[in-house]
Amino acid sequence: MQIYLPIADMPVDPAALLLTGAAVGFLSGMFGVGGGFLMTPLLIFFGIPPAIAVGTETVHIVASSASGALPHVRRRAVDYQMGAFLIGGGWAGAVAGVLVFRYFRQAGQIDVFVSLAYVILLALIGALMLAESVRAIMREPKKGAPRRRRRRTAWMAALPYPMRFRRSQLFISPLPPMALGFFGGLLSATLGVGSGFVLVPAMIYVLQMPANTVIGTSLFQMIFVTGLSTALHAGANQTVDIVLAAILVAGGVLGAQAGVRIGARLKAEHLRVLLALIVLAVCARLTLGLVLPPDQLYEVFPL
Amino acid sequence: MMRLITLALIFGAFSQARAADIAIALTDDVVEVNASFSGAKVVLFGAMTGAQPAGADGGAQYDIVAVVRGPNSAFSIRPMIHEGAIWTAGSPVYLRGVPGAFLVHATRSLDEIAPRALRAAYRLEQTPEALDRRFAPSNAQAAHILQTRGAAAFARAFLASARQSGLYAEMKHSVSFKKGSLFSIEIDLPPKTPVGDYLVDVYLIARGEVISHDNARLSVNKVGLERNIYELAHKRPIAYGVVCVFLAMAAGWAAAEAFRKRG
Repeated sequence: MQIYLPIADMPVDPAALLLTGAAVGFLSGMFGVGGGFLMTPLLIFFGIPPAIAVGTETVHIVASSASGALPHVRRRAVDYQMGAFLIGGGWAGAVAGVLVFRYFRQAGQIDVFVSLAYVILLALIGALMLAESVRAIMREPKKGAPRRRRRRTAWMAALPYPMRFRRSQLFISPLPPMALGFFGGLLSATLGVGSGFVLVPAMIYVLQMPANTVIGTSLFQMIFVTGLSTALHAGANQTVDIVLAAILVAGGVLGAQAGVRIGARLKAEHLRVLLALIVLAVCARLTLGLVLPPDQLYEVFPL
Repeated sequence: MMRLITLALIFGAFSQARAADIAIALTDDVVEVNASFSGAKVVLFGAMTGAQPAGADGGAQYDIVAVVRGPNSAFSIRPMIHEGAIWTAGSPVYLRGVPGAFLVHATRSLDEIAPRALRAAYRLEQTPEALDRRFAPSNAQAAHILQTRGAAAFARAFLASARQSGLYAEMKHSVSFKKGSLFSIEIDLPPKTPVGDYLVDVYLIARGEVISHDNARLSVNKVGLERNIYELAHKRPIAYGVVCVFLAMAAGWAAAEAFRKRG
């Protein structure tokens, strides 16, 4: 069976896409990563034009961050004040990102831009993940390693307009959260990712937020920042395919539920090695696509 | 019923015809193409008098060629170039004023039916040579590539792409005869066929010359849910984007509710 994607203007096999969505959802449910950085390149491998893969993936992320955020909202594990500053910065980043995207799209270089950016991003993520999980496995026998003490760094204390973030028990300037949000929004709009993989570590290690509010706050702000990316991509680039998004959301939701349940029973460190290898494999495949001579020496589009 | 009326009309118009002559009619003047899978089919009915179809016993060889021309369209052709270590799309060369669809049906292959000069004069086929002068580079880089690789390479790439998507096609032996001088042609419009006004020209050709000619007009619209989504996304993009965001939020919320842990 085939389904026709109205914006991508091509027929696809919905079963294959549903399975891919479920597989990525499974990984994201298991590891708590968003999965956007895997889904967008996989869509490109399906033959979806990179610009449409990015625009559409933002819809998928809005849905998955909304469903992910809800339990945290119920548990009151969201710092709304911090979220508001992240969203403020994120919206500015999303606008900037869509402008950058539009520039490359009009110059006709968006496909190469997205592929290259992903090669760099995935190489970094994959290498870091692999290093960290290997280290974790080596360290395994020794339990109760000394925990990092929370300590405000000097440059953070020197920034102006410090204010109290009650939920996170912090007294910091809102500038770092806004800058962080901006970077997240920029990545979200240009690459179709949720940016959780950047925001969560930065919120823990740079902002020094307590672990119990980090995930909820990150997911909460992601709904709105990625939501704006979606609206801007649809408005400025017409690259959001709602039929494709619906397939991905359906697959992702089911996969994520299974991932959460199974992930809770397995040893994360060993699986993380697997995820790192998957990320590196996707990176290698993207690199080949850029380096190997294309099948067609000309691309023809109706104007 | 429709077809009977069509045939009756052809016969009616044909009772005064002399010598070798041809008349055609389409089953529909307006065709709605479903953007999703199948495209659309329209049937052309025709009759000829004073002539026998090619391959029939005795007499001269008469051939029928039907050319379906879509509305004039423009295309963008990007050459892939090797820049540094990677392959990237270069600046586009535009191709303007070519038919958006070009479907040829004939009793035999065109080079058996008519000499090159006649095929060119009546524009029965799209050749790379005919496209040469229609290329317009978008900038200096594109102009340079067009010059070094040659317009013919671009023309061949365009024709190959158009044939692959079914926009351009040449189908020999695609005229079916019923009862001697009556014939029909099934025209398959591909899903990607452009909307607009089409012209269908049918030629009766014998001994390398056009004996008779008739034409018909056809209007192509696109319909279907996919088309409505496409229209909404391009005509009301902001509204479409907002709808996408709210649907996504609702779907996420519904999923979280559905899988909420009990107890």
